Amino acid sequence: MTMGPEVDARRASALPFVIAWIVILLTAGISAWTAFLGLGIWAPVIQFGIALFQTALLFVLFMRLKGAPSLKWVFAVSGFFWLMFLYGLSMTDYSNRQSWPPAQASTRSQLQVDQDHR
Amino acid sequence: MPADTRPVPEMQYATLEQQGETAQFGIWVFLTQETIFFGALIFTYFLYRITYPHEFAAAAKDAVLWCGSLNFVILVTSSLTMVLSINAAAQDARPNRMVRWLIVTVVLGFLFLIVKGYEYYLDFQDRVVPVLDFVAKPGEGSAGELFWVFYWVATGLHAIHLTIGIGLVLYMLLWRIRRGEITPAYYAPLEVVGIYWSFVDTVWLFLYPCIYLVGRS
Repeated sequence: MTMGPEVDARRASALPFVIAWIVILLTAGISAWTAFLGLGIWAPVIQFGIALFQTALLFVLFMRLKGAPSLKWVFAVSGFFWLMFLYGLSMTDYSNRQSWPPAQASTRSQLQVDQDHR
Repeated sequence: MPADTRPVPEMQYATLEQQGETAQFGIWVFLTQETIFFGALIFTYFLYRITYPHEFAAAAKDAVLWCGSLNFVILVTSSLTMVLSINAAAQDARPNRMVRWLIVTVVLGFLFLIVKGYEYYLDFQDRVVPVLDFVAKPGEGSAGELFWVFYWVATGLHAIHLTIGIGLVLYMLLWRIRRGEITPAYYAPLEVVGIYWSFVDTVWLFLYPCIYLVGRS
């Protein structure tokens, strides 16, 4: 709790926060490194996977969700929950658009690029 | 500092603990809609990136990687110093250590904005400012401009959020702490600001790979 005569156990030591800070910076370095490896589609998968992991660390430790009352957990998670609804419903639209197979759209765009440079 | 600094709950709360929990709950409700706000923006980015992968890769090569990386380090470090200031508020009756960490946090916040400002200056030089001065590079086509629209909107909104965060920390330093309102007995306002600050940090965790790690190989 935030109040009381004794120091909150979750605020007694800086060590977990320093360790989390080091882990976030190290994983950011790995994320940047993967950008130069030519991993294709796997590069963004790894990079955003790392971003999710870093976010979890920040949420749980820095934003004090660790041991927080469950109502705070509900709201912390509900943002991502509703975001998944948004993404899912939007993708049902896009995935059914005839003009949106990415490969075709990109090819058409590349043709436009070639025409621009002629 | 007022003569009587004993914390007393506001009239609608039975205890300080209830008041603190309500404040923290309130910021989480606010951050839920912020998650959807930035999440929708990043979703739009992904739709365009999937649609125009080559053009986005070509356009993103002009993003200044060292500025984005330096700002990543600055922002994550500022989250740490913010947490350390809250730890100090919980542990020390005297505010000296808390104030020192908060000053470091504010300095890091301003440093982020300075680096961002310099990066914007480089972007203007590079003529990647849609509407005002944009010249498409080879391979970008017109879709490359979409990447830069995202870049300016996303980083601009993030910078506005960070500026608000700096204002909130300054409010804590210049008003609440000076009046003796942040003590080991009650430091929930500082925790609320800290949660907001770390959330702004979280947004950058996603903007970094969206903007700076595309088209590098």
